[in-house]
Amino acid sequence: MTLLTDPAASFGFSLERVVLERTGQRVLNEVTLEVNQARVGLIGNNGSGKSSLVRLLNGLLKPTSGEVRVNGRNPADGPEAIAGQVGFIFQNPDHQIIFPTVLEEVAFGLRNLGRSRKAAQAEALAFLETQGRADWAQRPVHSLSEGQKQLVCIFAVLVMQPKLIVLDEPFSALDYPTRLHVLNWLHQLPQQLLMISHELDCLDGFDRLIWLDNGQVRGDGEPARILDAYRQASLAGVTL
Amino acid sequence: MAGRSPLHRLPAGVKLAALMAISIALYPVDQPLWLLPVLLLTIAGYATLGPGGLQRLTLVKPVLPFLLLILVFQTWTQGWAAGLVMLQRILVMVLLANLVTLTTSMDAMMAAVMPLLRPLRWVGVAPHRIAFAVALLVRFVPVLMALTASLLEAWRARGGGRRQWRLAVPLLINAIRLSDHVAEALAARGGIPNDSTH
Repeated sequence: MTLLTDPAASFGFSLERVVLERTGQRVLNEVTLEVNQARVGLIGNNGSGKSSLVRLLNGLLKPTSGEVRVNGRNPADGPEAIAGQVGFIFQNPDHQIIFPTVLEEVAFGLRNLGRSRKAAQAEALAFLETQGRADWAQRPVHSLSEGQKQLVCIFAVLVMQPKLIVLDEPFSALDYPTRLHVLNWLHQLPQQLLMISHELDCLDGFDRLIWLDNGQVRGDGEPARILDAYRQASLAGVTL
Repeated sequence: MAGRSPLHRLPAGVKLAALMAISIALYPVDQPLWLLPVLLLTIAGYATLGPGGLQRLTLVKPVLPFLLLILVFQTWTQGWAAGLVMLQRILVMVLLANLVTLTTSMDAMMAAVMPLLRPLRWVGVAPHRIAFAVALLVRFVPVLMALTASLLEAWRARGGGRRQWRLAVPLLINAIRLSDHVAEALAARGGIPNDSTH
């Protein structure tokens, strides 16, 4: 397991005996984690609490009890306060892209960080240039391919320079080559990544895997070992 | 639509004001021949957008049946002149409004509309939120159309008949779920920026 040693890139999040109840049901049960690896995967069956767990990290959900910390901050202060720290990529780009053109979409988060309209646009354009996608600026988002849309979602988050990027099944709409391309590109980012994925081969080269089962951590550690255990358990069958 | 045509460079406020002024000015015109040059000028406006500009005129295709219906109805009740006037008036307004949308970025549009919404503050409604809602609506029209199409597909795939109005409720439910997702994504990037602070 590799820890990033570059102090400039120091990051991490932790959960301390976190309990989360939604509509009377216990979704997370006493979860305690300390995570400061650069590439972290989160696996588990549907309904195991993965999406709920990551939503605690940016304040979209608040723990019923216990404490969540992201880079020393408390996300329970609300998503608005933590948006500059935690970038969130959702499953479906169409749920996430708010503006009709790429430039407006990328500039949006900057406005929320306090930039003026003009400064935000200039900064967004400069960012697109560094990504070699300046020609996308004026493109209408609905004309982009699914892979391009997902990239725009990531750009829109990346431009805010978060320390942690959470990806909630980001590849479900992407074909295999696009998935590989985006994955490669993600691996080059300096940020800490926390990725939920059902495509287990996407988690190659990750530093740590966390396996959630029924709201609890069932496995945690070296990816090969966790994947193996998860596969074994899956072969044993599930009850639908 | 991306571009640097003269219409793109015109400030959003000017375009919106002109749209309103033209719409009002057309109202008293009751001679179909006087409206024809206005219609032609509007079409010329599309031509100034550069290559592909005139292609954008096809947007009126879906409303053509309605226009035809209005034309027939007006001609039947008030004569052919009234019918042609009504037809051209609606065409000009739809095309002009679309021309403004095509050549104005959402951001600029919101900024232009904001001052008009300012009085809302007296009743406790933040104007920037309304402006934002309008922008969202425009962005999600294609998404909602795709949603409708996929529901219709699922309906047909299982042998659904012609009573397609039955899709209204699932469509509504899907739209509400979509809005939940969008709200979440918005919050995740820091909520709705408040323009009045800049």
